[in-house]
Amino acid sequence: MEMGALVVTVGGNASSAVQGPGLWTPSWPVLGKTVLQRWLERVQGLGVGLVSVVDRNIHESSRVHTLVEWAKEGVEQVLLIVLGSYAEIDLLDLIRFHSEGRRQVTKVFDQQGPLGISLLDRGCILASHEQTSEDEETPSSRYDFLGYVVRLSSTANYRQLVQDALEGRCGIEPTGRQTRPRVWIDETANVDASAQIHGPCYIGPAAKIRAGVAIRGCSSVERNCEIDLGTTLDHTSVQPNTYVGPGLYFRESVVDGTRLEHLARGIAMDLGTAELSARIGTQARRVHRSPKLARVSELPAKAELL
Amino acid sequence: MTKSPPTAVMRLPEPCDHASRRFFLREVKEFIDSSYRPRLIVDLSAVEQLGPDSIDLLLECVGHAERGDGEFSVAGASPQTDLILELTQAASVLNMFPSVLEAANGRQLNNFESGKQGYARSLAA
Repeated sequence: MEMGALVVTVGGNASSAVQGPGLWTPSWPVLGKTVLQRWLERVQGLGVGLVSVVDRNIHESSRVHTLVEWAKEGVEQVLLIVLGSYAEIDLLDLIRFHSEGRRQVTKVFDQQGPLGISLLDRGCILASHEQTSEDEETPSSRYDFLGYVVRLSSTANYRQLVQDALEGRCGIEPTGRQTRPRVWIDETANVDASAQIHGPCYIGPAAKIRAGVAIRGCSSVERNCEIDLGTTLDHTSVQPNTYVGPGLYFRESVVDGTRLEHLARGIAMDLGTAELSARIGTQARRVHRSPKLARVSELPAKAELL
Repeated sequence: MTKSPPTAVMRLPEPCDHASRRFFLREVKEFIDSSYRPRLIVDLSAVEQLGPDSIDLLLECVGHAERGDGEFSVAGASPQTDLILELTQAASVLNMFPSVLEAANGRQLNNFESGKQGYARSLAA
């Protein structure tokens, strides 16, 4: 039986996320891969050959058009995933449940409500396409999921997912090699020998961790980041292509280029004015030195006086 | 009866260019050098975003105050400014208060000059 999967994303434009209350954007990777990539891997793991990813902002008719085209081509079932959560649903069990039921639609729920995941039969897609009344909804079965779910609607949810993954509370496997218990460092990352890496934590591909850096408290540094001398990351995620200046102290935050969301304080702000961080490859870096580094730099002068 | 230390309330120069920094620091030094155990409060309530030059300036003030056996505080920082001071770890070397009044709490401060743009006004208590 041929099956298709349509994944509807919320859009991955990082700049558009600034307008919301926080910085969260679906383009942020979770320990090496985005939630979308992780969903696609799971769908492809089922042997589904026909997978399409569409943006939610694209008009609904084009999504329906895709479904109808698939149905006309003989696809028997379509897994529809509207990305708004990370849920470790056993998709095989969902398909089995759907096949055993008598309804043409199965919707997945958890204790908080629908998860935006549905399994549709070919007949229902073709029938709904032919229906003129938009109000008429096809009766559906309800699949109750009691496993691991995080609804991804805020930076706090994102951090929760990162933390759960690093602590092994969900099935997300960080990319890269586990060098010590709960410490994942990609083979292409460059970590100075003096850096203090306290697990659980994740350091992604091509990341540069300079001397004296301390990374702890379920922190993650995604691909192609640079953390400069002596900076501390505590319960913090650094998004791809971000440079973080020397001698800084980040806690309970997410840094994405020049933007920062501090979860403990509930503040989202731009660090560009203070020149504390930068987007790698897009702007010149002139960063502030910390008091500690300033004092270190003063030491030779004082020594000369003595 | 004990005599309260001399206290000055200042605002950071804006823009924090080279000339205004020099002028600001000169006034700070004059105040500190001319006082016994001086108390300097920098009012940050008008600062929208703290730039690197302003942070450096605050740290230089800390150094001057320490050398002059004085006390240096900042007051009235916005949440954003407060966060910048935490991130740069400047907060670890600064005495921080929610307002100038609270910074001066326990000290006799006869007159505030926080409404004026700019520079040091020494207030002998």
